Amino acid sequence: MRRLLVASLALLFAVGLGLVPPASAQTREETLIYSLQSDVDNWDPPNSVLREAIILGYHVFDHLAVRDLKTRRVIPNLATSWKAVDDTTWEVKLRQGVKFHDGTPFTAKDVKATFDRVLNPANKMTARGNHAKIKAVEIVDDHTVRFKTDGPYPLFVERLTAQVMQSDKVIREKGHEWMQENPIGTGPYKLVKWSRKQEHLLVRNDDYWGPKPAFKYVRIRIIPEKATEIAELLSGGVDIIKAVPPDQMDVINKSGGARTATSPILRTAMLQLDQAARSGPNPFTDVRVRRAANLAVDSDAIIKHVLNGLGDRVATGINPMAFGWDANLKPYKQDIAQAKKLLADAGFPNGVDITFNEGPPIVEPAIQQTNDAIVADMTKAGFRVKRNYIGDNTVLVARIKDGKGGPMFNWSWGYYSVFDADAILYDVFKCGENYSYYCNPALDDLISQGRSTLDAKRRAEIYVKAQKLLFDDAAYLYKWGLRGVWGISNRVEYQAPADEVDRMFTVTPRKK
Amino acid sequence: MKRYALRQIAQLAVVIVGISMLAFAILHVIGDPVTLLLPQNAGKEEYARYYKLLGLDQPIYVQYWKFASRAVQGDFGKSWYTDTPAFKLVMERMPPTLYLTTAGLGMALLISLPLGIVAALKRHSFVDNLCTMGAVMGQAMPIFWLGIMLIIIFAVRLKALPASGYGTWQHFLMPAFTLGAFLAPITMRLVRSGVIEVMNMEYIKTARAKGVAEWRVVVKHAFRNACIPVITVLGLQFGQLLGGAIVTETVFAWPGVATLTVDSIRNQDFPVVQCAVVLLALIIVSINFVVDMIVGYIDPRIRVGA
Repeated sequence: MRRLLVASLALLFAVGLGLVPPASAQTREETLIYSLQSDVDNWDPPNSVLREAIILGYHVFDHLAVRDLKTRRVIPNLATSWKAVDDTTWEVKLRQGVKFHDGTPFTAKDVKATFDRVLNPANKMTARGNHAKIKAVEIVDDHTVRFKTDGPYPLFVERLTAQVMQSDKVIREKGHEWMQENPIGTGPYKLVKWSRKQEHLLVRNDDYWGPKPAFKYVRIRIIPEKATEIAELLSGGVDIIKAVPPDQMDVINKSGGARTATSPILRTAMLQLDQAARSGPNPFTDVRVRRAANLAVDSDAIIKHVLNGLGDRVATGINPMAFGWDANLKPYKQDIAQAKKLLADAGFPNGVDITFNEGPPIVEPAIQQTNDAIVADMTKAGFRVKRNYIGDNTVLVARIKDGKGGPMFNWSWGYYSVFDADAILYDVFKCGENYSYYCNPALDDLISQGRSTLDAKRRAEIYVKAQKLLFDDAAYLYKWGLRGVWGISNRVEYQAPADEVDRMFTVTPRKK
Repeated sequence: MKRYALRQIAQLAVVIVGISMLAFAILHVIGDPVTLLLPQNAGKEEYARYYKLLGLDQPIYVQYWKFASRAVQGDFGKSWYTDTPAFKLVMERMPPTLYLTTAGLGMALLISLPLGIVAALKRHSFVDNLCTMGAVMGQAMPIFWLGIMLIIIFAVRLKALPASGYGTWQHFLMPAFTLGAFLAPITMRLVRSGVIEVMNMEYIKTARAKGVAEWRVVVKHAFRNACIPVITVLGLQFGQLLGGAIVTETVFAWPGVATLTVDSIRNQDFPVVQCAVVLLALIIVSINFVVDMIVGYIDPRIRVGA
């Protein structure tokens, strides 16, 4: 009996030792370490909704077009040029001499196979909605393709930045299941190893057609806890982290080992009000109550004092960086007396009860503190706010999608990184959309007008009208455009990206 | 001893069947799984197709039988979220958690055994009071806070240990200590009271009267008897340790099964939840079996009494 016990304990110990993976062979000098708070669900970007999948996708795959982070314009990448042949046809010329990681050359066949796979409803790809306006992809020659669209499609070029190019050969021979864990792209890095929810190891693609990345290896670590992530940055275990809380910026900047960088990002925050009564009858169906809410809150003061200036006030949901933003439309200014009067006019002279579904601090920095300030302001105007905190973002999003978010809830929208007013109007303001609690046929009409012309000037005019309408009708309680905060180790140089897509291949060692 | 072992194994089988029924029930308690799986705009036909595909049209006992017979072969179905077999996902993450909890247990014993014995032998002395104070503090300290403090001291300030991650022996020290500190106080108190109780027994007096050396009295006669409640409680505490592992894994970015389970519950990824629940329960049950066997071995009264 005693021998049995000793033997089993020894076995347990030996098994345990064997399971510890060996230390990695790369030197710290040639390795760049980046961290994320949560992992991707797969390595097949068009089959994922996650921001992390977009970011990883940029490293191993290429897109036909990418955004120039300095000018914020879309520039050619795997495409070399594009033009609208007529209202429903785009012709794209492809770069020559590009190879996939498995050695096969990149041609028009791959573009067609990529889009055919995404657009086939039977495949149930997440990215299908982004490209639903594309009817067919035709191969003209090895390096020319034509896209047939269902009506004019002004966002065509913008959307090219959101679709990675995958290989026809891989799609045919390896298939969907294999592609979930084995990315074969043309990008600047190749995937060496993925330890789920732990880390990704990438190695430089030395045959890359574009500029060579400075670091030979990139390790992407998954660190769920923010405090740990910051500790790793300060102790030199990680080089770049994102979404640093504003109150931690000082800690990083005074550490001597790292610094912070901020950038406006394409994401607008608001409190959605249930104008469409999706969650049932509520006071916000009355425009006077919605206006009163907007007039009650002093967002300028909140940006200045709570967010340390890390926010850009907006008049509606349209972000200042998006095409169509109207700089002349001035946001609501706090006016408590007017707010009280509007509430009284709406039949609430003694104030009104409101339930507020609050979200966790996943994408919006300092959301709890800014919520405190907003609720305090609303209380002054006569809103009696009952706060209901939902700590899990997945649950919050699911409830909102199910129409259970009302009468008021935290929301922010990242435009799928498409810098265009349409990318928020359609998803968040149009009647009957999953994340919209607003319904106004006049606005829907403007949204479809904006979608049906390629004339940029005409589109801008339409969006000016749409913003005026949204402002006057106080669709939601408008807050601000967000600014991202990154923590960057002093051993590297890195430019914070406005589109929330971190690109490790642009990082260089800092000159000493 | 053999009869005792057989009886324990029979009990084990009943518990395992019970657990598998509970895990099976998860899917049916939460409502209609098809509604969860399908997109909102799915039509009636697709709904009916999935209903049949999942076998939900069959009687409940048939469904359970299918679930159980597949589970025995390690087939819990595919994760709804990542499209990979649930068993593979769980097994990938099991070793780090087992290793962490074992290391945590070891650390707890390393702290609590010597301190508990010393505190008992020097009852009401300064050392005893110090140990009691330490235990109260340890019990009151949230794991989360302790973990972060260790990281700040040893990784950020002293740069002596990696702040988080998994791979080398250095990565084990802080998480194991954090988890050990969570279990050590209660173990130390148990060792202390156990040793105090035993030291008053007649057989200790007899041993001393025989002229046995004092260290031998303590280690061989007193400690061995004081061990019985400690081992039993440690077995029971293993489940608690897994609970502590959730927080420890999160703080130290430890790729274990505890965080996987919590994430899967959040994502409503039920095949993974079912698989993790069954496997973790199996481990806890087997550990308790081992504990029962050890206790039965040490104390013949128990195996005879049972």
